[in-house]
Amino acid sequence: MSTPVLPLLGRGLAAGGAAGLAAGLFSLLAAEPLMDRAIRAEEARSAHSHDGATAVQHHEELFSRSTQHAGLVVTAVIAGLALGVLFAIAYALVHRRTPQAEPWRRALVFSAAAFLAVALLPGLRYPANPPGVGDSGTVGDRQALWLASIVISVLGMLLAWQVSVRLSGRPAPVRHIAVVLTVIAVLAATFALPGNPDDVPVDATLLWNFRVLSLASHAVLWGVFGAVFGGLGLRAAAHTATAAGGRPDTAVVTPSG
Amino acid sequence: MSLHTAPTTDTTAVTSAATSTRDWLIASAAAIVALIALYAVFMDHGTVIAATGDYLHEFAHDGRHLFGAPCH
Repeated sequence: MSTPVLPLLGRGLAAGGAAGLAAGLFSLLAAEPLMDRAIRAEEARSAHSHDGATAVQHHEELFSRSTQHAGLVVTAVIAGLALGVLFAIAYALVHRRTPQAEPWRRALVFSAAAFLAVALLPGLRYPANPPGVGDSGTVGDRQALWLASIVISVLGMLLAWQVSVRLSGRPAPVRHIAVVLTVIAVLAATFALPGNPDDVPVDATLLWNFRVLSLASHAVLWGVFGAVFGGLGLRAAAHTATAAGGRPDTAVVTPSG
Repeated sequence: MSLHTAPTTDTTAVTSAATSTRDWLIASAAAIVALIALYAVFMDHGTVIAATGDYLHEFAHDGRHLFGAPCH
């Protein structure tokens, strides 16, 4: 097999669809009650304020709340599929020398790195806010900052990978500690970006619960993603081994890198 | 025998290089579609993908908040 990128793309789409659906359903059950509560609180705040008419404008009823609930699941599935494609391509590039080796362990490590890069590190720098938080005047700036934190985190994961590769001759503890220190340095680097300029006028308990559930949804997405991507990789390796006349388990066992 | 083997090997190498290029082109196209999808779902406010107006944004509203994307 000369180019494993297309099979990896297929695995990425399958894993991404499953992961997006799981994360979407999880957040539908766990986080929607909080978001509904946040929206009711926002409407109450707007009704009490004098410029209520303008404040309430941005939750114009284009869609009912139940449509937006469905939109959450659809959004999660689309995001899962798209992230699956990007994940598969990154995986194919990083592992281009030995694309078939260690499908399970690598899928888990790669998914953990993806979780750090697009969810945890950007989420620690710019934590998710429930509906009702966010000034439409600053949304362009906030999007730029959020994107910048993701770019820094993704580049940081590549740096951590390079650190691990360069130290491959060293004992595992040295390598692992160096990688963790790199990740911490990357997180620190995202704090060089300016902070979120908006006020957060919501109840502290609701805010905390919402942020925890936001990270939990990301964790569900990447956990399911890694398991499905790795499982499909194991199955493909077993098929290759069977086709080559070997026992299914021989293709899977390769020295760790 | 060896006279025939050498050209065959070359052809295989060329074909596999072509397949490889084709596969990576497909992968690049998929990456572009994926980035556009992520932009549409998490960033668009009807300014770039103008035809959608605010519909896309309002439909994806809860997903944006939950996954930490900045929203109005």
